[in-house]
Amino acid sequence: MRIGVDPDVCEAHGQCSVVDFELFPLDDDGYSAVGPDREVPAGEEGTARIGVDACPVRALRVLSE
Amino acid sequence: MTSVEIEDDLLTPEATADPYGLFARLREHDPVRWSARHRAWLLTRYDDVSAAFQNKALSNDRVRPLLAARRAQGSGSGGRPAADRVLELIGEWMVVSDPPAHTRLRRLAAGAFKGQRISAMGEQITELVDELVEGFTGGDLISEIAYPLPATVIATMLGAPVADRDRFREWSDELALVAFGTGGDARAERHERALRGLREMDGYFRELIALRRREPREDMLTALMAAEEGDRLSDDELVSMCALLLFAGHETTTNSIANATLALLRHPDQLARLRAEPELIAPAVEELLRFDGPIKVLNRWVVAETEIRGRRISPGERVHLVLSAANRDPEKFADPDTLDLSRRPNPQIAFGKGIHACIGAQLARMETRIAVARIVERLPGLALAAEPRWKPSLASRSLEELRVEVGR
Repeated sequence: MRIGVDPDVCEAHGQCSVVDFELFPLDDDGYSAVGPDREVPAGEEGTARIGVDACPVRALRVLSE
Repeated sequence: MTSVEIEDDLLTPEATADPYGLFARLREHDPVRWSARHRAWLLTRYDDVSAAFQNKALSNDRVRPLLAARRAQGSGSGGRPAADRVLELIGEWMVVSDPPAHTRLRRLAAGAFKGQRISAMGEQITELVDELVEGFTGGDLISEIAYPLPATVIATMLGAPVADRDRFREWSDELALVAFGTGGDARAERHERALRGLREMDGYFRELIALRRREPREDMLTALMAAEEGDRLSDDELVSMCALLLFAGHETTTNSIANATLALLRHPDQLARLRAEPELIAPAVEELLRFDGPIKVLNRWVVAETEIRGRRISPGERVHLVLSAANRDPEKFADPDTLDLSRRPNPQIAFGKGIHACIGAQLARMETRIAVARIVERLPGLALAAEPRWKPSLASRSLEELRVEVGR
């Protein structure tokens, strides 16, 4: 599974990081540091989906299952 | 710049009952307002409150300076060591810390709040809610459902015996009294009693921690003990963390459930909609948190010169981030005073933002979703039995009681 963030949409709500701060790291200002395309470690797919869904502005995406 | 002639007292009976008119006037006419009444800056626009969460001139560290001042005065001379210990305990909370201390505490606590661990609590929370809702035959929905649930959930997550749950509720109340209570002679005795209660809590958590070190389990306390990159929480920090979980997770969640239920009762069309479309519960809870969330005001302490919307803000001053005003800003939300359970996107900031976003947000969301869903589903005859009154509190949006009938 791969996930990514659109930095133009991210508003630094930090709700993804609340779900899992390792899968969804933040920079010093609270913006997502997931990057445009990141692989989710095997077994963490469920958490990744919860984190993507937690974004209130849909800046996060599941790129491939 | 002269101050605009508008009322800014957030604690009048009118503002306590319904602060949103006052918030709208401040937001429109004086969005960065020096309030002589509150001796603080009031930020009421969404963009300003949002930016404030990232502003390094605005600090969260507001207990340690107080403690240092008390020590400088010499708390030994007629001072209260019990109060100092409680202040120390509170001073270690990550909610009153800045990076790097905050970063470390947050990292060490985060493992215990991981999404999967929280999701796994769903079944247990549903059972607790069902027990409370099934036994409810009308009366105060807060004391019977919204108040007992969160303390029970925290006690369960920490792995405390069921028999001890009532004490968790008492400690939570005592923490609130000490953390927010401004004292005064009439309350001094209650304050002292609360401090004694908290010493008992301190001892209780220490025993629980020692037990869990000997016999690790699959619970949150064991997860909090786990080392992260060679670092781990000390016993003092673990006690402090347990107290924070109890304190931060209790009243706010109680108020989220109660305020959400009241908002639905006041908007029968939306209540009917949620009953017809129960799958709306997730966006519904986001909207209910936006519409009348549990926290009105968060505090920041100014530690460096900064400027907000052209107003100069100086070190030593206080800034109130008015979350409830930001969440009704028409610049961010279309028809902000309309409750729309299907509102999307809904970037409400009831849980704060960025690195300080509430670490328990997922847990609070789950508790509120399950409680509200079950209340509307299992209590079809739910109706207000009395006009509710709000507590005169600056920080929280909190009902005295929520008296309802359930028609059975």
